[in-house]
Amino acid sequence: MLSLGTSLAFAGAAFAASLAGVGSAIGVGIAGQAGAGVISEDPEKFGNVLVLQALPGTQGIYGLLIAFIIVLNIGVIDGNIKDLTTYQGLALFFAGLPIAIGGLFSGIYQGKVCAAGIYLCAKRPEETGKGIIMAAMVETYAVLALLISFIMVNGVKL
Amino acid sequence: MKKLTLYALKHDRDNILLNLQRDGNVMLLQAAESASLAGAEELGARVETTKGAISFVGKHGGKASLLAGKKPVGYELFLNENHEGAELSRQIDSLAEKIASLRNEASTLLGQEEHLQPWRDLEIPLENLRETQSSAFFAGYLPEAALEEVSGELEGLPAEMEVFGESPEGRALIVFVHKSAGTKVKHLLKRHEFADVIFPKRTGLVREIIEESAEDARSKEALAAELEAEAMEVTKKKEELFLYYDQLVAKQERMQHRGEETEKTFYLEGWVRADRTEAVRRAVNEATDAFELNFVDPEEGEVPPTVMENGSFAAPYEAVTELYSRPRLGSLDPNFLMAPFHFIFFGMMLSDAGYGLILTILLFITLKVFKPQETAGKLMTVVFFGSISTVIWGAMFGGWFGLEWKPLLFAPMKEPLKMLALCFALGALHLISGMVMKMYMEIKRGQVWNVVFDQLSWLILFTGLFLMVYLPESSAGKYTAMASAMLIVLTGGREKEGYVSKLISGVLSLYNISSYVSDLLSYSRLFALGLATGVIAMVINTIAQMLWVVGPVGIVLAIIVLVGGHSFNIVINVLGAFVHTSRLQYIEFFGKFYEAGGKAFVPLAIRTKYMDVTK
Repeated sequence: MLSLGTSLAFAGAAFAASLAGVGSAIGVGIAGQAGAGVISEDPEKFGNVLVLQALPGTQGIYGLLIAFIIVLNIGVIDGNIKDLTTYQGLALFFAGLPIAIGGLFSGIYQGKVCAAGIYLCAKRPEETGKGIIMAAMVETYAVLALLISFIMVNGVKL
Repeated sequence: MKKLTLYALKHDRDNILLNLQRDGNVMLLQAAESASLAGAEELGARVETTKGAISFVGKHGGKASLLAGKKPVGYELFLNENHEGAELSRQIDSLAEKIASLRNEASTLLGQEEHLQPWRDLEIPLENLRETQSSAFFAGYLPEAALEEVSGELEGLPAEMEVFGESPEGRALIVFVHKSAGTKVKHLLKRHEFADVIFPKRTGLVREIIEESAEDARSKEALAAELEAEAMEVTKKKEELFLYYDQLVAKQERMQHRGEETEKTFYLEGWVRADRTEAVRRAVNEATDAFELNFVDPEEGEVPPTVMENGSFAAPYEAVTELYSRPRLGSLDPNFLMAPFHFIFFGMMLSDAGYGLILTILLFITLKVFKPQETAGKLMTVVFFGSISTVIWGAMFGGWFGLEWKPLLFAPMKEPLKMLALCFALGALHLISGMVMKMYMEIKRGQVWNVVFDQLSWLILFTGLFLMVYLPESSAGKYTAMASAMLIVLTGGREKEGYVSKLISGVLSLYNISSYVSDLLSYSRLFALGLATGVIAMVINTIAQMLWVVGPVGIVLAIIVLVGGHSFNIVINVLGAFVHTSRLQYIEFFGKFYEAGGKAFVPLAIRTKYMDVTK
């Protein structure tokens, strides 16, 4: 029997991995559509376009990372699932939220900036670096969300 | 930077340009309405032909070998146009054209054959298929569904329908009809969406034509293949082609500079580094002694291009700065200070000694073998240095392929607060260095009071706040902070008119503290990105471990997961580390002092793609 606390921790991990993943999926999708358009005109830009398309993919990874630490801490990986109190579970649930929500939205918006960066790369390939940097500005908030999620998960003593 | 003006005789122009290109010290300006030299168009066509030949050679197994790098060629040899290459380029061009046209014809024939297939059983030679005195015919395709209906409706009319094979357009058929019922049948067919067929202008039975076409197409294809085999022979001499191409491109660049000209003389303008003027004079003098060469300082309003010069450690980081913008002429070149921070931050963000080792080795080999030039080479060197730093930081934090092993400093995952403190300490150092740069520049410009009010006051405030936190029992920190805050409030609005607005903008300038705080917090990404690398590596290891215990298949899968996963992790995190390290430089560091807006110095020089010209 799993306790309510353990289930809540599961929910936290699920939100972190899935919402941040959705953000990345949408972001990479938006950038990919723009990229395919540019490549249809100039296939040689594939390398640059791919880098820009890959950028919004990191939020999903950050989400996975937090989800992984949560399930690792509650013992899912090694098979001895711990019984958490409701409050411990709730704390882990909340700890998953920053990267879940931050990743969801920053992924989508980073995708839009990347799509714009891909058009920039189509018109002025020598300025692709600036497009990448602008996309990285959006990622800042996913990074901050990741950090606070990590510190929170780390702070829950089981 | 000096402005160069050169007057010389037209018949010396080629030699002068050649010498200038050899040394690569002068950036010539394109005179507004001056065209390229005569013959430039023809040269452009030759460049295109050679480019085509090289891509043809590449498609036929003659790709420039990936591991070969650039082949060295002596300068003298480089100057003499490679006739063999020229000949080869023409030869391959005509070969490629022939092959393409043969292939084209073959595919037309095959298309025709396919088009005729449904009509295979037609027993009338095509040339005999026409109207007679009393009869007409309709040949074409009818949708399969309408077939029965049409044949029913045709009954009772003086018409005869012969049905042939199926085709994508419908069922092939011919309706022979007595002319008296011609229009009627035509309308009937039209109603059922009958589409006419157009036979090729050929003679003989359809099946004979089909066989002929197929035979023809086969022989053309065979001929093309034969020519291709011949091309294979030719492509063995691809080196000649590469040399020829580089020569043509170098010549093309020279020819863009006609300058202004009179009947006998010409005039060129350009930019030269102030310390290279003598070298330029020598180069021109080697070509001729009839010239007038002057170097003058740039006039008011002219923006000369900027050159950055750094030691061998900082020089590659120029590419990072260029990605942002070049420094304005006369402002500070930030690279000497930016380089060490970039080095440190990159390593902290990647922070896995195992990854660092792999990268170091791979990049070392790449740099040695390919010798990438210009921006690409510089950026690669930056990542190379960064990967050395990654080994160092990885060992400090004990990260080896996601496993923890004897951290020299501490393990960030276990002690996140310590790690954050380290990040902020380094961040503070970075920001303060930026402010010191600004102070240096202002002092050099004689603006000492600006330094005191805008930078020094803040630094004192920070010191005070720091003391307040770390020595709470002493009140020194409190008073220092208050005094410097007063200074900021009193002087922040010194450029405003009137005491009230001076005071208001003074108080508001104290609000800048929030921008300093957010700058500092931004350095937490050093930790977060390191975390990402470490935990993803851990995830990969855990999955591999779970697979490993399954059995032999599991072991194979585990190895695939390990190799693929770690490679993916390296790629994605090198990208992340580079981008975020650069961002810390651009936004947080450059924001404090950097003056951007310089133009690139692009001298007339030999720029090769395949050859390495040795002087």
